[in-house]
Amino acid sequence: MTATEGFKRHGDHSYIAHFADSEKEVLLNLCEQIIELLAERTDHGHDDPLAAMVGITSHDSPPEDEVLHRLLPNAYADSVDASEFRRYTESTLRQKKQAHAISMRIHLKSSDDGTVDLDHENANAWLGAINDIRLALGVRLKVENSSHEELELLAPDDPLRGVYAVYTWLGWLQETLLSALIDDADEDEEAQLGNS
Amino acid sequence: MVKTADKIEEEIRAIFSGDTPWVTIVWDDPVNLQTYVVYVFMELFGYSKARATELMLQVHNEGKAIVSTGSREEMEHDVARLHEYGLWATLQRGDQL
Repeated sequence: MTATEGFKRHGDHSYIAHFADSEKEVLLNLCEQIIELLAERTDHGHDDPLAAMVGITSHDSPPEDEVLHRLLPNAYADSVDASEFRRYTESTLRQKKQAHAISMRIHLKSSDDGTVDLDHENANAWLGAINDIRLALGVRLKVENSSHEELELLAPDDPLRGVYAVYTWLGWLQETLLSALIDDADEDEEAQLGNS
Repeated sequence: MVKTADKIEEEIRAIFSGDTPWVTIVWDDPVNLQTYVVYVFMELFGYSKARATELMLQVHNEGKAIVSTGSREEMEHDVARLHEYGLWATLQRGDQL
C-alpha cells in the first residue's frame, strides 16, 4: 500500500485522493473521536422540549474542556452577550461540526479501495473536519506556546511526538485539498472577468 | 462631565437610528493554515483571492482584522459561519474598537 499523494483535482469540481489502509484507519479514528467529543456537549437535561426542538440549550457558559472550548468558542468578548449568543447557537454549531466529521467518515467507510472522490460541498465538509481535528490536536500539543522547532525536537518516546506527526500530516493533506480548490476558484474568477 | 453627557446623547441617537455598524473580527490562531484562512474568506464572503490574502496577512501580522461590517444580526451570522469552519471570530460594535 503506497502512502497518499494527497488530493488532486479531476475534471470539473471533483477532488480525488487515495489513502493506504493505515491512513484510512487513522483518519476514521480521528473523525470518530471528534464526533464523540462534540457529543459530550449534547444537552440531555433539557426541561423544555420546544426550546430543545428549536435548538436552544441550557449551556450558557463555555465548555470547561479546553478542546471543546476551542471548537465552540465565545462570539463576544463580553460574557453576558457571549452567554446569550451561546444559548441560542451552540447546539447548531455543534451539529454542523459533527455533520462535517460524519461526512468525512461516510466517504472513508464507503471506500473499499481507499479512494475518495469529493465534490465542492463535500470538500468543504472535509476541510472543516480536518481543521477541527487539527485544532483539537493543537490544543493538546500546546501549539499556542511552543514553537515548531520545539515540537520537532520531542523525544522519540514522547507520545506527543506521534501526535505532532499526525498534526503536520493533516496540515499537509488539508493544503493539497486547498490548492486544488483555490485553482478552481481562480479559474472561475478569470472566467467571470473574461465575460465582463 | 459635559463630554460624558454628549457621549450618552450620541449613543442614544445611534441606538434609535439603528445605524451603528457592527464588525466581525478574526483573531490570529497558530493552528489554522494561511491558505485555509484565505479559502474560508473567499468561500464565506465571496472575496477575491487578493482581498482574502490581504485580510489573512493582516490577521497574521497584526493579530486581528475586521473581515466584515453590517448590522448586529448580520455579524452574528458571519461569526457563526466562521466558527463552523474553525476560525477564531468575535463581533462587536464598530464604535467600540
